[in-house]
Amino acid sequence: MVKQNRKGIAGRIFIYILLVILALIMLVPFAWMLSSSLKLNKDVFTFPMKWIPQSPRWQNYIDIWKKIPLGIFIFNTSKLSAIVTFLQLITSSFAAYAFAKLQFKGRNALFLGYIATIAVPWQTYMVPQFIMMSKMGLNNTHLAIICLQAFSAFGVFLMRQFYLGVPDELCEAARIDGLNEYGIWAKIMLPLSKPALSTLTIFTFVNTWNDFLGPQIYLTKIELKTIQIGLRMFIMQYSSEYGLIMAASVVALIPVLIIFLSLQKYFVQGVASVGIKG
Amino acid sequence: MSSNVLHKPSNKKLGRRKAKQTLVAYSFIAPNFIGFAVFTLVPLVFALVLSLLEWDGANPISFVGIDNFLRLAKDAQFRRALYNTVIYTVGVVPLTIVCALALAILLNKNIKGRNFFRTVSFFPYVASLVAVAAVWNFMFSPVRGPINNFLNAFTGIPFEQLPGWGASKDWAIITVILFTAWKNTGYYMVIYLAGLQGINPELYEAAEIDGANSWNKFRSVTVPQLYPTTFFVTIMLIINSFKVYDIFINLFAGGDNQLSDATRVLVYQIYNTAFRSLNFGYASAQAIVLFVLVLIVTLIQFRGEKRLG
Amino acid sequence: MKRVIPVLLVIALALGMFAGCGQKENPPAPESKPAAEKTADAAPAKDEPAKAESVNLKWAIWDLDATAYYNPLVEAYVAKNPHVSIEYIDLGSADFMTMLSTQLSGGADLDVLTIKDIPGYANLVKQNHLEPLNSYISSQGIDTSLYGGTTEQITVDGEVYALPFRSDFWVIFYNKDLFDKAGVDYPTNDMTLAQYDELARKMTSGSGADKIFGCHYHTWRSAVQLFGILDGKNTIVDGTYDFLKPYYELILKQQDDGICQDYATLKTSSIHYSGVFYNNQIAMMNMGSWFIATQIAKVKAGESLATNWGIAKYPHPDGVQAGTTLGTITSLAVNSNSKNKEAALDFMKFVTGPEGAAVVAKTGTIPAITNDEVVASITSMDGFPTDDASKEALKTSKTYLEMPMHDKSADIETVLNECHDNIMTKNTTIDEAIADMNSRIGEILK
Repeated sequence: MVKQNRKGIAGRIFIYILLVILALIMLVPFAWMLSSSLKLNKDVFTFPMKWIPQSPRWQNYIDIWKKIPLGIFIFNTSKLSAIVTFLQLITSSFAAYAFAKLQFKGRNALFLGYIATIAVPWQTYMVPQFIMMSKMGLNNTHLAIICLQAFSAFGVFLMRQFYLGVPDELCEAARIDGLNEYGIWAKIMLPLSKPALSTLTIFTFVNTWNDFLGPQIYLTKIELKTIQIGLRMFIMQYSSEYGLIMAASVVALIPVLIIFLSLQKYFVQGVASVGIKG
Repeated sequence: MSSNVLHKPSNKKLGRRKAKQTLVAYSFIAPNFIGFAVFTLVPLVFALVLSLLEWDGANPISFVGIDNFLRLAKDAQFRRALYNTVIYTVGVVPLTIVCALALAILLNKNIKGRNFFRTVSFFPYVASLVAVAAVWNFMFSPVRGPINNFLNAFTGIPFEQLPGWGASKDWAIITVILFTAWKNTGYYMVIYLAGLQGINPELYEAAEIDGANSWNKFRSVTVPQLYPTTFFVTIMLIINSFKVYDIFINLFAGGDNQLSDATRVLVYQIYNTAFRSLNFGYASAQAIVLFVLVLIVTLIQFRGEKRLG
Repeated sequence: MKRVIPVLLVIALALGMFAGCGQKENPPAPESKPAAEKTADAAPAKDEPAKAESVNLKWAIWDLDATAYYNPLVEAYVAKNPHVSIEYIDLGSADFMTMLSTQLSGGADLDVLTIKDIPGYANLVKQNHLEPLNSYISSQGIDTSLYGGTTEQITVDGEVYALPFRSDFWVIFYNKDLFDKAGVDYPTNDMTLAQYDELARKMTSGSGADKIFGCHYHTWRSAVQLFGILDGKNTIVDGTYDFLKPYYELILKQQDDGICQDYATLKTSSIHYSGVFYNNQIAMMNMGSWFIATQIAKVKAGESLATNWGIAKYPHPDGVQAGTTLGTITSLAVNSNSKNKEAALDFMKFVTGPEGAAVVAKTGTIPAITNDEVVASITSMDGFPTDDASKEALKTSKTYLEMPMHDKSADIETVLNECHDNIMTKNTTIDEAIADMNSRIGEILK
């Protein structure tokens, strides 16, 4: 017994050491980013490095605000990400229900077609798509980005994989109780799939938030631009202004961080509460 | 799938029910599918047709048959891009799976600070690529960067003998593999966590009664039970690795958005052919090769899932 | 979890503040496109008697905030034409011409287009995106001889599609303080490549963070490869490239000996040439004359620490006249699908003409139309080096375009860039890369 305990404690310590190292690997770049954002350019690369700058240069954060309209960029990006995420969640979970739980002709073929397009890089069809969108008058509108991002095959794929794990008996029982398919989707599937939905939320939100090639092509007016193109343009224009680049990067991270922290409950605890068959 | 076996309604009834269910099913799919068809499928099909044509984006299109594909066969640049992409994929997929699974198993245990560690590991994934690529770029810088300065200070190895990371043709791919694993492991870890929590604890209890040790339990319960998750993770990883573009551009390309031989990947090659050389037909032919490669991998996996499922 | 909530609240509050700031800042934020809009707003009132119809032109540009002359040009034009307002469409400098071509293929409603490089120009011409200008030039009586022969160099099948407004050439920028400290004489205006190499070696010193490099080559192909065309015997679109070998050998040797920074490092870390010059890390740098305006402005702003600097003529191979250098032109063109073609052409005429040239020169940038007066207005600018040699350095004797017009120039450029990259990163030997250029470009030219 004692031996086993000791082994358990040793194992536990080992696990903690491992985790702390991993956490460091994950966090050090961010710490460096934060620390550099408060330095002068010439101090960014000094070694041994000072994690806490002697006289933090908050001015960097004021300066970036003057150089790029960060407020507009953040507002645009938040708006786009929120709309895209909402549409993506509704339409994907809707379609995924059919693919996972309903029998119909052409289901497998259609589904294969769907995932096949996941495999096609966007760059291969972005020109025809751009021409088409422009003809529809969508160039330089936020609607273009919404149409581009909101109906991805990936969301359907992900939701379907989760729905497959929900026992068929549950749906069958609901059908016997007189619920129609829409009712089953709304009353049973949706509540059950909260963790999957939050996974998809984070995925879509993060993807839309971080996308830059799409906005770069579709949004050429300053007042429409998103934070990523803003940031990329800023890095290209001021490539040697390390302090400013890092400050802008920190600001770009904050909104995603908020979304993530407010939803992580569903990841961290919610995942466990539902029996999802991997 | 089992539901139809449970009840055995009459054939006529079954037929009507089937027709109705098909209609209902399509109504479920429609909202997503219409958007998807208009904004993805149509331009995609157009792009695929382009592979048999020669087109510079403006002038009249001419039909060239399979010329574009014949040209591909002897295009050394394309081969190089394909090679780099495959090497990258071969590095990223196993590394990410091992890291993600290991992290998930560690963080599925009942330990203090679990939520904190989960949050921390997921954080690189949500962070903006443009921003973190800029950070890693500075950190990997061979002479000025903190990584090599750290290695130099602690091992005494002179700078010339330390890895050149992104700046060296031998280390560039390794650098980007490490970066990708760092960036994405957290995401796949979460998927694995979901998978792990779906495993019925009785299976472990049963294995324990049979006298299984931790390794046996891992091999005979965890791994097979996680197969659907691994299926999903592997497919997504392979697809994303084959399609990689943003990471390379942000990590390696300078102000002109150009990549060198050692880091040129397929999508970059396609983008270049289309937009710099204005050869949309030839670019589409390259894209089709990429598409077929990924499709083959997906189909193999799909069949594997079916057999096991 | 409980502890997370207050944290979240604080962050949310902070975000609210950000958003608040953002909104408050909304009006001044497009600060970047100020004068034009402001004047435009005021325009209708002022203009009512004339009843000129107001026109809004969209001008495709890059790096709005980092470029000195966009706003002055627009202000000068709008002052004369109050019914016109001009909107900037900033496509970013990375991949500008590609972005432009994509936008035009999609039918974007751009009116005036800035042409950044020749390969991109050749592509746009091929795609019929540019308005042919011959008839406009003759009807408006534009004297193309003022451009010193550059319009001939961008003529395609007898037709011109753009007019230059900036004409830059390469010079040597040097850091006088570093030369003084080392007790070495400044570079002269008649310097052979061998003398330049010697000077660079003398100026290299120190190690680690204190290292001073004798010279610096930015990661562009033209910074190294094009020493080879200065003797006028070869061009870069000929299809044979053996003449480049001695120049690559010279620069690679410098790189090996630590005289200049390692190419691969510069490239992957996206190190901008201006940064290393500002921070007193390099003694000499070959760069285009566009850097003059930037350097002057950055010294004034306190961002460039290289406050004591000079300019010398480009180093040349033996037996070539001093003042022989590389040139590059920036032009304006009009979208052939523009709905405001007339106004767009008029704006182009203004910017590329003598009035525009005067405005451009005032910002320290060298306009396409140059004469002694224009050069004098640049060298007399506040912040321009005061020594006579630096002023003299702006006089060129012969300029070769970095990339001559050729209908395959985009493809040729791609190959040249790739091979340059391979040589400089030592991915291949010089001989292998040259053989590669010869065969691949030979294939393209067939």
